[in-house]
Amino acid sequence: MAICVLDPTSEEAVATSHRAARLSSLAGRTVGLLDNGKLRVHELLNHLETLLRTEHGVAEVLRFKKPDASRPMPPEVLAAMHACDAVISGVGD
Amino acid sequence: MTQAPPPLQSTTYAFDEVLEVNEFYQGKGWTDGLPIVPPTAAQVAACLEAAHLAPGEVIGIERVRQRRLLAEKVAVNTVMAGCRPAYMPVVVAILRAMCQEPFNMHGSTASTGGSAQFIVVNGPIRTALGMNATHNVLANGNRANATIGRAVRLVLINLLGVIPGQLDRSTLGHPGKYTFCIAEDEEDSPWTPLAKLRGVPAGRSAITVLACEAPRQLMNEWTHDPEEILATFAADMRHNMLTYSVWSGNYAMVIPKQLRDLIAAAGWQKQDIQDFIFRHTRLFRREWATVGKRTIVDRSGGPQQEFRALREPADLLVVAAGGPAGGFGAIIPPWLGSKAQAVTHVIDEW
Repeated sequence: MAICVLDPTSEEAVATSHRAARLSSLAGRTVGLLDNGKLRVHELLNHLETLLRTEHGVAEVLRFKKPDASRPMPPEVLAAMHACDAVISGVGD
Repeated sequence: MTQAPPPLQSTTYAFDEVLEVNEFYQGKGWTDGLPIVPPTAAQVAACLEAAHLAPGEVIGIERVRQRRLLAEKVAVNTVMAGCRPAYMPVVVAILRAMCQEPFNMHGSTASTGGSAQFIVVNGPIRTALGMNATHNVLANGNRANATIGRAVRLVLINLLGVIPGQLDRSTLGHPGKYTFCIAEDEEDSPWTPLAKLRGVPAGRSAITVLACEAPRQLMNEWTHDPEEILATFAADMRHNMLTYSVWSGNYAMVIPKQLRDLIAAAGWQKQDIQDFIFRHTRLFRREWATVGKRTIVDRSGGPQQEFRALREPADLLVVAAGGPAGGFGAIIPPWLGSKAQAVTHVIDEW
């Protein structure tokens, strides 16, 4: 006799997000950098800001911070990011 | 005439042999590596009925990625773990607790730090399900203890993608990630049960869940003095602060009968234990030099900066459990201080 069993995964359609249109150049643009709360991330972001300004001609760098790497972005921080042409975010150890 | 339950929505697969089912699920990565019980519609329906849940009911939502935990899917994984239907209300209560914001389910399950869920069950449901609170309590031997904890892990794997190397970024993990669920020995302890201390009314059943690192076993069989006994527990916590993580949060402390009887005979309650441990689990940044961490002694607040294991005495989860003989105990440290906090949740209709 056949054994009929059920799929254990969520099988729910997950809302898909789309990549924003790529910028052709960063020159003259406003770029946001997200500090995700990890220790010493500011050292990495300071270096990144220098590179963006000196090598890519970025006009303005805006810095954002979320309190904790493992919790969602506060909505007010997300809203403030709309002032940017691009934002750099990531997680790592 | 009773109404027929709503139909199940999951995709079904048909096989001729039980072993084929296991091979298929293993091949799909739908297990923790151990064999599974085939989740048939009848078994899944029995789990849902035991917890009085409709298949489409949302048990909780993982907050970061907004993934829903639907009752039907939780039941499928509960069957796969080897649970009896009667265990389902416990699994549901644990998942509801883990979806609370303070538990930080996403962070604690994805982290390189590799945490497990330490689950303590209190109240009448422990005895109704035949759970173990005595011999070998932190390990194998009891179906309910073993499969309830495992069901939670399978839900993380199959519903939330907490798969090693994918969302689960654990560097090491620890054996508790297979399953880590115990009952408190309420019958053989003079102390207030953990859930009651955390606000659950007497007579109700509840779970408490903590994102934890591996248990650290200790021993002191050479004193009857509660302060000396607890000094050994405190030393272990300080050692964890030095070698693993200094951040304060919920620690669990499991006290088996031999040491429990000595501490209780001196008139100590759980609150006295919490106060003592709170006072004796502090250290200074300079002590890191003794464990190879000299380079961070001068950072931040400098060598005299003081750290505490607990934010307040109530952070300590004191649990009466373990076999009758042996002057052992265990400390179960938090994953990462208070970034994930212990959550207590009542079990519906228990």
